[in-house]
Amino acid sequence: MNNKPLLAAYGVTFAYHNDLVLDGLSLELKKGQLGSVLGPNGSGKSTFLKIISGMYSLKGGHNSGYIYYRGHDFHKYSTSERAKKVVYVPPDVRVEFPLSAYEMVLLGRLCQGGGFFKRTTQHDRDLAHWAMEQCCCWGLRERNWSSLSGGQKQLVVLARALTQESKLILLDEALSKMDLHHQEKIGLLLRKLTKEDYSFLLVSHDINLSSEWSDFTLILKEGKKVACGKTSDVLNIETIQKTYPGSSLTVGKNPVSGMPKVFFGVKH
Amino acid sequence: MSSSLFRAYVIAVFVWLISIVFALNFGAVDSPALDLIIQLRLPRVILASAVGMGLAVAGAILQALFSNPLCEPYTLGISSGAALGAVLGGAIGFQMSFSGIAGSAFFGSLLFASVLYFISLKSSNNLLTVLLGGVMLGFLGSSLVALWMALADANGIQGALFWLLGDLSRARMTGSIIALIVISFLTLMLWFRWRDLDGLLVGEEGARTLGINVFSVRRTLILLTSLLVGICVSAGGMIGFVGLVVPHFVRKIVGSMHFNVIPLCALWGASTLTFADALTRFMVSPHELPVGVVTALIGAPLFLWIMLQQKERSL
Repeated sequence: MNNKPLLAAYGVTFAYHNDLVLDGLSLELKKGQLGSVLGPNGSGKSTFLKIISGMYSLKGGHNSGYIYYRGHDFHKYSTSERAKKVVYVPPDVRVEFPLSAYEMVLLGRLCQGGGFFKRTTQHDRDLAHWAMEQCCCWGLRERNWSSLSGGQKQLVVLARALTQESKLILLDEALSKMDLHHQEKIGLLLRKLTKEDYSFLLVSHDINLSSEWSDFTLILKEGKKVACGKTSDVLNIETIQKTYPGSSLTVGKNPVSGMPKVFFGVKH
Repeated sequence: MSSSLFRAYVIAVFVWLISIVFALNFGAVDSPALDLIIQLRLPRVILASAVGMGLAVAGAILQALFSNPLCEPYTLGISSGAALGAVLGGAIGFQMSFSGIAGSAFFGSLLFASVLYFISLKSSNNLLTVLLGGVMLGFLGSSLVALWMALADANGIQGALFWLLGDLSRARMTGSIIALIVISFLTLMLWFRWRDLDGLLVGEEGARTLGINVFSVRRTLILLTSLLVGICVSAGGMIGFVGLVVPHFVRKIVGSMHFNVIPLCALWGASTLTFADALTRFMVSPHELPVGVVTALIGAPLFLWIMLQQKERSL
């Protein structure tokens, strides 16, 4: 059973009404891997994550394909079962009512159910504390949601994802508003968690952020695969030119980690 | 339970009891004899408590369901169905009896609630469609009421007109007790969904990532809330502001977790309407004002104050 990938998506084709967004996309993610999905605006990255998480169905219309989690048809699980296995982390969360950061993190325990009067157990609270410490936001726990900055909200939402105790976390631009210092801390946290059998799929426009932390990269363009493989192999000038034709982008290396980096190639 | 939460419950129960005592003792008549209290004021207090509880709880549920702080029990148009039912009932001769007007109003609200439920079944992917469908139903109902009023004999619909402004003066013991039992039961059923409601605080998409089956939750909540609003409006007429202001007030005290928001809304809704109904007899004694007028007179400035406070904090 362990030979099976943790997550496998095969032949995913998806259309919003008649606009084809994903065209026969496949991907396998193994336990403990951190993968990233890159591509220009509208290439279907976020849609792909939402399909994997079960938020979008592959039934009906022009849609087809399969999502397997540990070899089982993932879309056949109930919503709460899915939330215990895979978490989708959105780029931002809007809340219209007063809510503290700590309460936001505890919402991650909703999928575990519980008795009517048993609102939170000691385990829930311990887990929320651990997750908030890990995501550098324990100090924000009493702050009201509306008073937090975009980056702080992302830290809290990531902590919430960790309290769901799912081993696969889908990050949809979930680090985009953090400052560089926190991006580094969270990047290191993700790497540490992959050693504890967590797996991540990161969608980002920030190629240099995702290239630093990911084991493999899938590059999409107009819903189709441009390249997929080890990040250091895939991120080269050919694939970048293919993905962003007509741009001046050029590829270099991080002098410390040796990971590929993309730069603007114009003088001004 | 933390001490501040315990205090919030104690204060809510205390205020409700004070409102009940106030409502039983104050009135147009100077000598509050025991018979008068039992026959006239007690049913009224029971009905005011029940309707206030139902309206406040329905408001809290709809605000959470649509992630919209401006939602209130009348947003979904169920009340317009009730109004249409009441006016038509009045026109065909039910205007003299409380149960006649309430019955025809309830029939109207059930009809509109069924249409709304059908809309929610059809629009499986879009909550906005349900909201807009409800608003359209509301417009349709009020236009038909206006049309009927323009065409009908004014004397025939007088009872229904008073009802439209919110009227608890026709309460009788049996009807009030039935309303209290049904509204309490529906409130309890909705309270049981506190986990789902908490999940909905982060919006429909967010709730799904937390493991909430939004489609089924939405249908259940719309069904239960429509019934609740239908019963409240049929029994008490169009009483505004309780369902809008009380949930905001409660959230300011205890935050937005529905395990506490629902019971506290029930308690504060009951106190507010009981107190407001007593004021209707007290303000322009020996005459009476429609209770909807009193709740709007108190509720509108209060809501404005809450809004301005929030704005100040966000600056």
